[in-house]
Amino acid sequence: MASQYKTIHPVKYLRDYLAQDIRPDGREFLRFRSASVNVGAISQADSSAIFKIGSTTVVCGIKAELAAPKADTPNCGYLIPNVELSPLCSPKFRPGPPSDQAQVASKTIDDILINSSALDLTDLCVCIDKLVWVLYCDLICIDYDGSVTDACLGALVAALKSLTLPEVQHNPETGAIVVDTSDRKPFPLKSLPVSTTFAIFDEQLLLADPTDEEESLAKGKLCLVIDGPELCGLYKPGGIPISQELLSKSLEKSKKRADLIRKVIEAAVTN
Amino acid sequence: MQNQLETTEEEECVLRPMNCELNQLSRPDGSAMFMQGDTVVVAGVYGPIEAKLQKMMHDRATVETMFSPAKGPPCVDDRAKETVIRETCEAVLLTALHPGMAISINVQELQDSGGLLACAINAACLALIISSISMKFTVAAVSCMIDRESGKLIVDPDSTQIQQARVTFTYVFEGIKKDLVSCHTTGRFSENELMESLEKCRAASQNIFDFYRNIVEQYAIKL
Repeated sequence: MASQYKTIHPVKYLRDYLAQDIRPDGREFLRFRSASVNVGAISQADSSAIFKIGSTTVVCGIKAELAAPKADTPNCGYLIPNVELSPLCSPKFRPGPPSDQAQVASKTIDDILINSSALDLTDLCVCIDKLVWVLYCDLICIDYDGSVTDACLGALVAALKSLTLPEVQHNPETGAIVVDTSDRKPFPLKSLPVSTTFAIFDEQLLLADPTDEEESLAKGKLCLVIDGPELCGLYKPGGIPISQELLSKSLEKSKKRADLIRKVIEAAVTN
Repeated sequence: MQNQLETTEEEECVLRPMNCELNQLSRPDGSAMFMQGDTVVVAGVYGPIEAKLQKMMHDRATVETMFSPAKGPPCVDDRAKETVIRETCEAVLLTALHPGMAISINVQELQDSGGLLACAINAACLALIISSISMKFTVAAVSCMIDRESGKLIVDPDSTQIQQARVTFTYVFEGIKKDLVSCHTTGRFSENELMESLEKCRAASQNIFDFYRNIVEQYAIKL
């Protein structure tokens, strides 16, 4: 009966739950789902990670390639994140070129990494003006159940944290490149940005870590990126206006969550 | 003495001078050319119009946004801007009044010298006002930055100031309680910096709302 009711009146179904101070999956309003991370599952990639928040799953694989740098930044490498929202992960997505949503997600992840200055692109330089590393970070969502930005960032950061790059010998005169794959050095990551998503409903009701169902019915979305004591992103693309108190409340919650996620990632990488 | 006078003047007049021409274009239901300093944007609104079948929603109107940069085809950056403009306008419009229809908001950048996103949102809001489509509230976008060296907060910076920025914020406020509608940031910042910039921009947004009122009054007399 409940499932028919949900299909016919999705908004009312959710509202009935919220009126009882509980969410459809049994969580309290400000409770997050459990997160888990697995590092190094894909042996073909230079580093990889699988990040799960509840049933939302994102797989990240990083492939490092050598290329010539841009002329205006001769000592900087490249980091190219690409979020793929395949038709497998949700009925919302269709096969074909990347949707607007996927493009915006890729852009957000790229922005967050640049803003947090978690990685120094000059560390990717092998030989100035001649040779740099390009990190292709493919983020593939295989289960889309809300808070995908959080999962993408988690997967990417975990993969970057466990990334090792082989030693490269480059002869600038002859242009000969010798890659020694047996001697790999860990890539330095300066910080660990963690993003947290909130859904906002009528009358300033805040739901932490929304599922897809909650996200699609929400009146607004708020995404906070915390990095240590500082913030490196506050994204709220429209939606219902929020008060100052709500912002402070979400800030406080996301700080606690960021500490937890950071521990989870660090534990997974050291093991 | 001269110097002192100049600095106080600078602090009082926090926003760059604004200028606006309404309904310059003949085809759209409402259009606005909005200038904030040297940043110029044209916005045109069509709506409610017939929605494309695949985008049609049975219970409300779809909001379509198109952001065109001054040169070249739209890239991923512009898609991100488009999303912010669209979601902000969706919050502003009473979409439930026009089920199955579409409202199309087109923004064309003419010149960017800082605060382009804020300028685009303000232009879109003015175009919506003049198209007399039903809105919940008006919105005003304000950008600000924190200087890398002095750590000073500058509201509505121009392109030369932005090059020295450590952090930039773009806030969108609604006109009734001045609550936050949209927010976009770049760079690392502390909680205090966030709160301080939010307060300053909130105060500055009043100027934009006053400007809306003035400009609409001027055009109302012409009609």
